[in-house]
Amino acid sequence: MTDQPTTGSPTGVAELQDMLAGEGYLAGRGLATATFIGLRLGRPLLLEGEVGVGKTELAKCLARLTGRELIRLQCYEGIDTHQALYEWDYARQMLHVRALSERELSDETTVGGLYRSEFLLERPLLQAVRSGGNAVLLIDEIDRADDEFEAFLLELLSDFQVTIPEVGTVVAEQRPLVVLTSNRTRELHDALKRRCLYHWIGYPSLEEELAIVKLRAPDVADRLAAQVVAAVHRLRDMDLAKPPGVAETLDWVDALGVLEAAELDQATAADTLGSVIKDRDDLDSVTGDLSRLVSDG
Amino acid sequence: MAELDDSPVGIVERLVGFGHALRDAGLPVGSDDILAFCAATAELTASDPQDVYWAGRSTLVHRRDHIPLYDEIFRTYLLGHPARAPKPDHPAERPTPQGSTGTLEVPDSEPGDEQSDDQPLVLGLQASGVDLQRTKRFSSCTPEELAALRRIMARTRLNPPRRRTRRRAPDPSGPVIDIRRMAREAMRAVPPAPTLHRLTRRERPRPLVLILDVSGSMADHSRNLLQFAYSMRRAAQKVEVFCFGTRLTRITTVLDRRNPDDAMRLAAERVLDWDGGTRIGESIDAFIRRWGRRGISRGSTVIICSDGLDRGSPGDLADAMERLSRLCHRIVWMNPLVGENAGQAPPTLGMMAAGPFIDVVVSGHDMASLEAFADDLADLGG
Repeated sequence: MTDQPTTGSPTGVAELQDMLAGEGYLAGRGLATATFIGLRLGRPLLLEGEVGVGKTELAKCLARLTGRELIRLQCYEGIDTHQALYEWDYARQMLHVRALSERELSDETTVGGLYRSEFLLERPLLQAVRSGGNAVLLIDEIDRADDEFEAFLLELLSDFQVTIPEVGTVVAEQRPLVVLTSNRTRELHDALKRRCLYHWIGYPSLEEELAIVKLRAPDVADRLAAQVVAAVHRLRDMDLAKPPGVAETLDWVDALGVLEAAELDQATAADTLGSVIKDRDDLDSVTGDLSRLVSDG
Repeated sequence: MAELDDSPVGIVERLVGFGHALRDAGLPVGSDDILAFCAATAELTASDPQDVYWAGRSTLVHRRDHIPLYDEIFRTYLLGHPARAPKPDHPAERPTPQGSTGTLEVPDSEPGDEQSDDQPLVLGLQASGVDLQRTKRFSSCTPEELAALRRIMARTRLNPPRRRTRRRAPDPSGPVIDIRRMAREAMRAVPPAPTLHRLTRRERPRPLVLILDVSGSMADHSRNLLQFAYSMRRAAQKVEVFCFGTRLTRITTVLDRRNPDDAMRLAAERVLDWDGGTRIGESIDAFIRRWGRRGISRGSTVIICSDGLDRGSPGDLADAMERLSRLCHRIVWMNPLVGENAGQAPPTLGMMAAGPFIDVVVSGHDMASLEAFADDLADLGG
């Protein structure tokens, strides 16, 4: 897809990194490279990683950056084609038939008229195929959907075409940029993985996370930011059931900002711990050890 | 990072060679992956090792577990670094689960060497690793046992574990309104009186996988467990049965006999490592590799019947259990050592390693508890 008409398509990995940073997203070299290849080759991007490391955020940034429309399909257990692809608007079709028959307007084109696009409810996947190169399709938390759904996605991701029996086949002229995310609660089928570029997003390093905090919350004092990031890194080492992600770090900084705290001490940490630790058992084990958490190491 | 060496070999050959080196190292690298890798590198700077590294990592690697191996091959093949001495994959290096007082490394005896089961049992944490080849003969089923088998079969037939499918079927009290059907009826020439049709998600039997420990420490229970497996196989659809001691054997097909005594005899002949040592981690790993990943365990309830006395590495067991837990729906560990205090796992090393990945621990120490378990099975399926 080198002849992409969209403005602002990056020419190199470094440029993409800069552009993402402009949107408030700091991508490492690996993630930026994978994204760049995905953009250039029109391949779907499969992002796996811990909760709250910015998998979904990347798709949103890419949409803003490339000026494309973000189409999001949130997966859940039991999702089916009616919710993912398309459905006929039966109620409207009925009303249409009633209206026609009352005025006795039916002729041989009536039935065909029932399957016009105005009666078609487009769901995210069909929308993405129709928008083609003008869309970023985010298939979020694919690991939550049933594995039958993966098999269905396989077909869509390789051809980007949808066949609607009453209408015909809709083919994407240009492939949309597809981002799949998974929290790895279960293993995805290898066949699906093979069609995607794979990237594992880990937790950022101390310096990287500090840079992210400063970029996303520029008003925060350097000292407070450093304290919070250090505390979060200690939390991640503590063998918790739900280690905090980058999203939690940012939440914590925001929470401290609301309280106008100048620095993170035991009292403020205890008050705001709820924004980073979201599990009762974790909370218990952390509260017992607050002094170690906030100590300036 | 060093510059990639400028060898006379063309860059494409080099990249393809790298793909083959990965494949030789055991990574599943297909030709399409190599094509994508080359195409990706073409978009980047092929002389920059960083670009080549990340291009390869996003196109040739599909699993997080493969990243270390990829890094190693990248270093040796493309950067020309000498191969590192392979790290000994020693159990002592892995973090042992809390509560175990150090890993007790008893050297494996020679195959065929009779090692008394006492010593590891006294240590209480591990079992024997002896790879014995033994077959076993079971006496015929007693009338009481036959009656118990029939009861298990009847219960399981009435109430097999189920899963909901994505398809819907008509159901007068279902949660979803069947607007398609109502539209279809309303469009008839003479529409019937309008009624509200409803739908519900259809249910299908959930696959069941039984993995039975037939090692020495389980000798007292293996007969009951085998009878239980036989009756499950006869009663429910989609049941797979495996046995393991030091190796994994699939006995699903031999259990398909009308006469339980025939089935038990055939199973006894098929399994070659009766009453020997135990390698739970390796056996579960073998199950995942040979059967699980192909689809047998997807969406299934896996029942592992073992006392958790393991001679393999606890790290291996934990790794295998973690992978199994992501592949299947529920993991039930049936442990005869639990006895009457259901829900509380005995502190064997194997149970500690596997603990975080087990959904339910049940007993199953006698025929009565197995019968009770057959009753609860449908609810475990969730």
